[in-house]
Amino acid sequence: MTPKERVMNTLEKGRVDRVPAFSGMGNVTVAGMRKHGIDFASSHTDAELMAKLACSTYELFGFECAVVPFDLCVEAEALGCGVNFYAGKSSILYPTIRSKVLSVGEELSIPEGLLERGRIPLVQEAISRCGERLNGEVAVGSYVLGPFTLAGQLIDLNDLLKSSFKKPEQVKALLEQLVEPLAEIASAYAESGADYITVREMGAPSDVISPRMFKTLVQPYLKELISRIKAPTILHMCGDTNMLVEMLHECGASAISVEQKNDVAATRQKLGEEAVILGNLDAYGVIVKGSPADVEHSVKQAIDAGVDGVMPGCDIWPEVPEENMHALMRAVAKYGAR
Amino acid sequence: MEEKEQLLEQMRKAVIEFEEERVKELANKWVELGYDANEAIFEGLAAGMEVVGELFAKNEYFVPEVLMCADALYAGLDILRPHIKAEDKTETKGVVVIGTVEGDVHDIGKNLVKLMFEVAGFEVHDLGKDVPLEKFVEEQLRTDADLVCLSAMMTTTMPGMKKVIEMIRERNPNVKIMIGGAPVSEKTVEMYGADATGKDAASALEEAIKMVSSLREMKRKKEI
Ligand code: B12
Repeated sequence: MTPKERVMNTLEKGRVDRVPAFSGMGNVTVAGMRKHGIDFASSHTDAELMAKLACSTYELFGFECAVVPFDLCVEAEALGCGVNFYAGKSSILYPTIRSKVLSVGEELSIPEGLLERGRIPLVQEAISRCGERLNGEVAVGSYVLGPFTLAGQLIDLNDLLKSSFKKPEQVKALLEQLVEPLAEIASAYAESGADYITVREMGAPSDVISPRMFKTLVQPYLKELISRIKAPTILHMCGDTNMLVEMLHECGASAISVEQKNDVAATRQKLGEEAVILGNLDAYGVIVKGSPADVEHSVKQAIDAGVDGVMPGCDIWPEVPEENMHALMRAVAKYGAR
Repeated sequence: MEEKEQLLEQMRKAVIEFEEERVKELANKWVELGYDANEAIFEGLAAGMEVVGELFAKNEYFVPEVLMCADALYAGLDILRPHIKAEDKTETKGVVVIGTVEGDVHDIGKNLVKLMFEVAGFEVHDLGKDVPLEKFVEEQLRTDADLVCLSAMMTTTMPGMKKVIEMIRERNPNVKIMIGGAPVSEKTVEMYGADATGKDAASALEEAIKMVSSLREMKRKKEI
């Protein structure tokens, strides 16, 4: 079975020989950067570098996917936000939004030719280069933000959070408006060859908003977005999701993905055998800071708890020790047989 | 006497239920009646906010609720502050510079910590998020802050805190430095040479009060 078949069958609840280890989010490593002599800051604005770096985690460790882009600013940039790539900084810093473009209640105008704007063409190009490089043997993934998290990139977050209470109608109007461009972008990625699309709604866990607010304000637009993406989808949420898993599942994605704060065994019990659950390795505490034995233990724990795919809880942290990546892949082979 | 107690109770309730207009009304009434502004700030507004902190810890309130309670509190503070008696004005609890370090946009936690400090009567200078490292040093010197609070939610931005700590110590060894955010542990405190951390906003405040009072004690002794 090729890694791609393993991943795609997992998402479609088909037969697999073992649990795959892959991600819906970035998985750049310092080892990959070294291998190709690429610095992180330049990889965000060059399709070839982006693709090379994304594929390197498979090439070096056998991690079963290539995912682009690496930052959360692509959609907001296309909608007019300025982005800081930290060019020239020696440390690895993730791009951030430099300037917000909107406040709550203001009409957002979606620019003409959205798909030609910002780095969307570049990400599409990177997706197709990943496909070429990996010869169809390894799945290529990409992601978009969920509407609420994207709103948090466009608007001052305090403003958004308070308005979610005080002026929910205005916030809903904005979220509704964001569904279409997000669906368009996701579909464009799929057309360029992304085998699956992750929707990252990391701005809405119960560390931040209440489950009640999630239900009225976040879930309806996630549902709508996911229903419009014509590719297998993963709905990912960082942070505390224990109170939300049923609602996440109802959103209709092919799979849900959660981090270490989620009690996967309980989630499995709530959602039943049919649900596809991915997770829930601690992307920093274990994969970076742990020993290879800790990584092995975590992989086993996740599989025992009932994940269908072993996935880090967020972007793999670039400084991951090489021996931990190898330990991760060994542990999946050891404990993941089906 | 009874009316006063009643007003305070109403003020606490209005903060907890984030009724900004109601808080304003009550604060104005308090001022009109000529009561002590400081008392309303601490026994009314801040006491209400303390309950809000507990509700947050219990997962009954979430970040938006807390932010709205904070708005209600600030609305009351704006009215009451100009009426604080001169003798109460002289001593703030301490001066704090706070911010999320360069490369890091996670500021929800930092904002909660800042809020607790303000409620407790610290003078807070918030540099925001993604703050260039040198800026912390400059702001500390400019404000003569007792305490610098650094927040980082990512392991790649965490080392920035170490640099800030070194730069500050070089210029001004007496400043207390607290660091926090999800990846920060007691071990990080030791490794980076910070003074303390706190796992949430309430424990951050507790530590801060301890440190700043010992710092001030020290300064006072020196002056004598
Ligand atoms: C919301 C969120 C976001 C939002 C942030 C919005 C904002 N303006 O803050 C958005 C969507 C923008 C975002 C972006 C990213 N995120 Co994020 N995000 C989160 C999430 C889900 C919740 C964080 C949060 O706000 N918690 C709620 C608050 C109340 O808690 P808190 O921050 O911990 O604060 C408390 C304490 O820590 C303490 N405290 C905080 N500061 C201080 C300071 C002092 C002095 C003291 C004493 C105490 C203290 O008191 C606070 C109150 O109780 C976490 C997941 C998690 N498990 O934490 C990931 C997480 C922090 N993100 C992560 C990542 C990787 C990213 C990105 C890099 C993704 C990407 N590919 O670009 C980008 C960051 C880009 C950048 N350069 O900064 C990772 C970091 C991993 C790591 N190894 O470091 C996390 C941990 C997710 C994960 N599971 O791995 N994210």
